[in-house]
Amino acid sequence: MLLEQFINGITLGSIYAIVALGFTLVFGVLGIINMAHGEIFMVGAFVGVMTTGVLGWPLWLAFVASIVVTAILGYLLETFTLRPLRGKRGVSHLAPLISTIGVSILLENLSHHLFGAGNKPFRTEFAEMSIEIGSITIYIVQIVIFVISIILMIGLSIWLSKTKAGKALRATAENLETASILGVDTKKIITLTVIIASAMGGIAGILVGMAFNSVSPQMGLAIGLKGLAIIILGGMGNVKGAMVGGLILGLSETFLVAYGDSGYRDAIAFIMIIVILLLRPQGIFGSKIVEGR
Amino acid sequence: MLADFINPYHLQIASFILINILLAISVYVPLSSGQLSLGSAGFMGVGAYTSALLTIHFDLPIFVGILIGASVAGCLGIIIGIPSLRLSGVYLAIATLGLGEVIRVIFVNWESLTKGSIGLTGIPQMGRELLNLARDFGIQPAMFGLRNNQFVYLMVFVILFILVTATIWFVFRQQNSRVGRSFSSIQMDEKAAESMGINITYFKVLSFSQGAFLAGLAGALFAHVMGYISPSDFSYHRAVEILIFTVFGGSEVIIGSIFGAIFLTLIPEVLRFVSEYRYIIYGIMLVILMAVRPQGILDIQLLSKFKRLKRSKGGVR
Repeated sequence: MLLEQFINGITLGSIYAIVALGFTLVFGVLGIINMAHGEIFMVGAFVGVMTTGVLGWPLWLAFVASIVVTAILGYLLETFTLRPLRGKRGVSHLAPLISTIGVSILLENLSHHLFGAGNKPFRTEFAEMSIEIGSITIYIVQIVIFVISIILMIGLSIWLSKTKAGKALRATAENLETASILGVDTKKIITLTVIIASAMGGIAGILVGMAFNSVSPQMGLAIGLKGLAIIILGGMGNVKGAMVGGLILGLSETFLVAYGDSGYRDAIAFIMIIVILLLRPQGIFGSKIVEGR
Repeated sequence: MLADFINPYHLQIASFILINILLAISVYVPLSSGQLSLGSAGFMGVGAYTSALLTIHFDLPIFVGILIGASVAGCLGIIIGIPSLRLSGVYLAIATLGLGEVIRVIFVNWESLTKGSIGLTGIPQMGRELLNLARDFGIQPAMFGLRNNQFVYLMVFVILFILVTATIWFVFRQQNSRVGRSFSSIQMDEKAAESMGINITYFKVLSFSQGAFLAGLAGALFAHVMGYISPSDFSYHRAVEILIFTVFGGSEVIIGSIFGAIFLTLIPEVLRFVSEYRYIIYGIMLVILMAVRPQGILDIQLLSKFKRLKRSKGGVR
């Protein structure tokens, strides 16, 4: 029982971690919170539902489709909502927040319109398959989710630390002006960051669809808010923090549901951030908060 | 006759506009000292539930309930405001958003008291109580040629109008006082304000708890106007809606909040003919507005331009 819950928690946590990574990448580079990330994630999930359920495509193709669609959305988001606000005089930190909230309202209601308000089931051919080890049941879906998330996290870490583009991204996150003086095409890097973050949201969307077997237009908000909580927990703009924070939240939610009061499940993320903000405002892995961000 | 001009539906929308103005101001006040609070929906819920529960279970007069509801929200604002001093900008926004969600989840789960997600029904309605009160004094709606429901909506509107006007007047006066100037100096530069001898802790907590009080007041009024509340009335969507009132209208001036609340409450009514697409339009509108005019529709420059225009017209006359 305990081990089973642990596996459930890890699965949930690794999905949360991927959602949070999308937030943290954008925050790290641009210093803004992308409130539309949850909805981009939701669109990714719907692309998964449509391609596997209606068109009958195999799962890997659904992933590709979802990545493509969300990457395009990310590009549009960057071009139409974030870029016009950048480098303008007198733009407060409120403007990108409101602007991305506008996008999230747009996307939520658009998919409400296109796909209906209800829950859509997410069918995969191995949804019911499971392995039994002793008394523990592990679903194949859980393994798939876990493996994909781990690959994604390791891939992102290697990309960030080893490749030229990754290094340029980190340099831009460190200091935009200095990076551009040193020859980094910051405009391209910013666009790339938003696209990658959105595509990760799309992958996370399919993973959530697989894990909970249901997709709805409102899911973007619920998961998006948790993603926000996680990046505060782990430290804003911190990649490692997002991963660990996601796992902590996933585990604590699962154990709360299993051994405590399931009604408070959605509150735990926020109770955590309120506590962490009071004890250690920079988050678990964050370095000291830079004034004036 | 007076009765021909009074449409209960229009009066109800007007009442909602007034409540929304209060909510918009509850975001504006903390923002004027540089604190972005997304907890208004939560504070609103606290005010609404406190007042509703007190009037249902203890038969308190509505006005006492509203006052206590707003005060409880204000006190919660002080309790939250003090530790939140360490946070700024986006961090404060997320923490207060989180607070609102925690409050909502408590409303959903504390079923013995709040009836969970079903919500509270049978909250004494302000209009009906006012009607009874008027009858006790021997005043009948018919004396003015009004039907009962017209009288009820009119009285609610008048009471709300008086309250909102008083609030706007208070905030306006406060802005030009020592307190208001301290707020804006903190917003400009906290360190500089501190070195000028301004007690940052005091003024930041003051503006935060004023915002909480106003949100609680609006919530309590909302409960007694609607007669029914549920946790979903105080969700993330409400918090965002309130923030957008303020930012859309222009967060630098109080007129901006008022304008934003009026305009954005009317828009869904006006856009009713495209009701299916109205939130999509709403979303696009926000994106365009931020790209074109990130400080909101009204700002200080625009207002002073208006003033000059008025003055020059007066000169001609």
